[in-house]
Amino acid sequence: MGRVAFEELAGMRIAGVETGVQFAERMHAHVASGFGPIAVASQLAPLLPAAGLERGYIYGCTGDAATSLLFGLVAAATTGGSWFAMVNMPSAGLMSAYEHGVALHRTLCVSGDNTSSVMSPVVGALVDGVDLVAVSSPVCSQSEARRIATRVKAQGAVLFVLGKPGGFSLDASFSARTVDWQFDTHARSRTVEVSASGRRVYAHRSCTVQLPGIS
Amino acid sequence: MSRSIAVVFPHWMQQHGQLGEEHAFRTFEHVVRAVTALSPLVEVQDIGTIVLSARGPSRYFGGDNAVAQKLHQICIDANTGSAFGVGIADSRFAALAAAHLAVSRQLPCVIDTAIAAEFIAALPVASLSRVGGITADSVDLFQRLGLGTCGALLTVGEAALIDRFGVEGKRVYLLVSGDEVQHLAPGAPPSDFACSIEFESPLANAAHVVSAARDTIDAMINAIAGHGQQCVRLLITCHTDHAESTSRIWGEPRGFSAAVTAQRLLYQLEGWLTDSAADPDAPTSGVVRVEFMPLESREVLVSQPLLWGGSQENTERAARAASMAMAVNTSVQVTVPRWEGGRDMATVYSRVPLSLVDITNPDASEQRVHTGDGVARHWSGSVPSPSPASVAVEPPLIRVVDAEGSDVGVTGRHELNTVPSYVEVGSQKYDVVRVAGPWPLEERWWDPRRKRRQVRMQVLVRHPRRGVGVFLVGLENQQWTLLARYD
Repeated sequence: MGRVAFEELAGMRIAGVETGVQFAERMHAHVASGFGPIAVASQLAPLLPAAGLERGYIYGCTGDAATSLLFGLVAAATTGGSWFAMVNMPSAGLMSAYEHGVALHRTLCVSGDNTSSVMSPVVGALVDGVDLVAVSSPVCSQSEARRIATRVKAQGAVLFVLGKPGGFSLDASFSARTVDWQFDTHARSRTVEVSASGRRVYAHRSCTVQLPGIS
Repeated sequence: MSRSIAVVFPHWMQQHGQLGEEHAFRTFEHVVRAVTALSPLVEVQDIGTIVLSARGPSRYFGGDNAVAQKLHQICIDANTGSAFGVGIADSRFAALAAAHLAVSRQLPCVIDTAIAAEFIAALPVASLSRVGGITADSVDLFQRLGLGTCGALLTVGEAALIDRFGVEGKRVYLLVSGDEVQHLAPGAPPSDFACSIEFESPLANAAHVVSAARDTIDAMINAIAGHGQQCVRLLITCHTDHAESTSRIWGEPRGFSAAVTAQRLLYQLEGWLTDSAADPDAPTSGVVRVEFMPLESREVLVSQPLLWGGSQENTERAARAASMAMAVNTSVQVTVPRWEGGRDMATVYSRVPLSLVDITNPDASEQRVHTGDGVARHWSGSVPSPSPASVAVEPPLIRVVDAEGSDVGVTGRHELNTVPSYVEVGSQKYDVVRVAGPWPLEERWWDPRRKRRQVRMQVLVRHPRRGVGVFLVGLENQQWTLLARYD
């Protein structure tokens, strides 16, 4: 009798109960199916509960080092084969992206009228085929943003929103604040304090990194 | 070899794909449902392509011409506003090619068995990649070898094609000889991987059926993957409690994953289960049994991750997404970076339109962003790394002022004539903490029209609210500009 009960616990699914073994199996299958989190540099991993960017999430990036942080977050994934699209970011420094380790041969720069009727279908089309999409200060109505969020989830993409999130409801938001600049003969490096918050980040997480200089 | 009917909508994805592949599939489902009135078992190979066996319908409706006319009328009645073509020929490749020919003629194209061989022989080799699923690289090679038509390939012979192109050569030969493997014959033997799932109580909601069948789908896809294969054509049959059924063959040239299979099952069921009022064939009960039968598989070779990381599949998806984004509006521009070099932060990488480059070629893409032949990555006199994360497209005019409020200038020896105290950007005032530079930049002094003299410097600034930051400022023609910010 006791043996049966143990097998039930270890192998079969009881409504509402999941054992640790089953959880581990489920997570393993999740990762093996190619839908696991997208890798980030080890220095930034403490910010994320899954130690990587969760597919289907919308992340916000704010603060005075937001662009550098974005490059730092996507660098590892682009070298691993994911594509990266920057929407409405004409002033993003591509040389800086290169120095942060972003694979520029898998990078697309997209520009267009920043209106809801243009930006929503453009971002929607991009998340269908590009793993990482960043959009700066999007003008998007809430209903359009919800539709895009559904597509992001369905395709397993990751969407970054820089600046004001507009209609988007963010799963997690990063704030990057420069604490100190190492500045002698020229600007060498800086210490940035990054904090993560939002409804998918269970406790307030933060870390201090050197930008650039993460790999 | 069996006679097939093909219906193609070559521009469906461009016209209906703006809201995503899912939306395009849903809209296409109306056409597919209309065609199933003619023959219950049809194959949806891709969005915009339907193939069905000609044998049954042709005998029932009295000949190929009658069927073709009827299909043509069905497509017109479907009122999609999209160009289409109907073709009938002796193999599926020939039928698809005929359907593509029919698009511009606005008339169905029926190829008699008597001229089937000549028809295929006259087709250009490019049609092998357009409708036959042969890679564009091979087709390109055929053209360079002087083999312009399928007839020329046929004369090369099977042995020579297999010698040079392996498995693909075999497939090319089957296509051009009109002898390709055909799985539309009803009553084909069940495949080893066929599987099914039965439900205790009938399920009337398509999403419920899909989630209940998900484990079965996973098991089947994993079993096929365990043999180093991937399924590219799959027959899905659903039965209701009242013995009604729907069958559909789905094709996926990139290979079925569990998610894609589940999605196709959802499309098939949604079309069948939902609009019961309009359709006399609609089911009267919920689904009790779902069967999956893989009809064709191929070795997992095409979508394997590339050696240098990443996969070609990712690239193709990205290219498709980019072209969809460009189709939204003429204001939308998609560009890719190209290494140019130089000392100016704004032009060290230029942005070239996507239409001018081939991003699906990995070697060319790496070449594009890397230091080209003989162009050094670090130019002497360029701004030291790290580089600024935001570079102004049109640098705003600013003032760099000393403690007395007079503008800072540079002497003939490239030294500052006074100590900068603060920087004015618009209405904002930033206190200068430290200065690096100035670094002179004198370019093309030999060319009176393109010569340029500029001085650049980095300033570490502090703002009472915004904290510390670094600006790259430039002085040209007595005017300071904010070239870039280290965001």
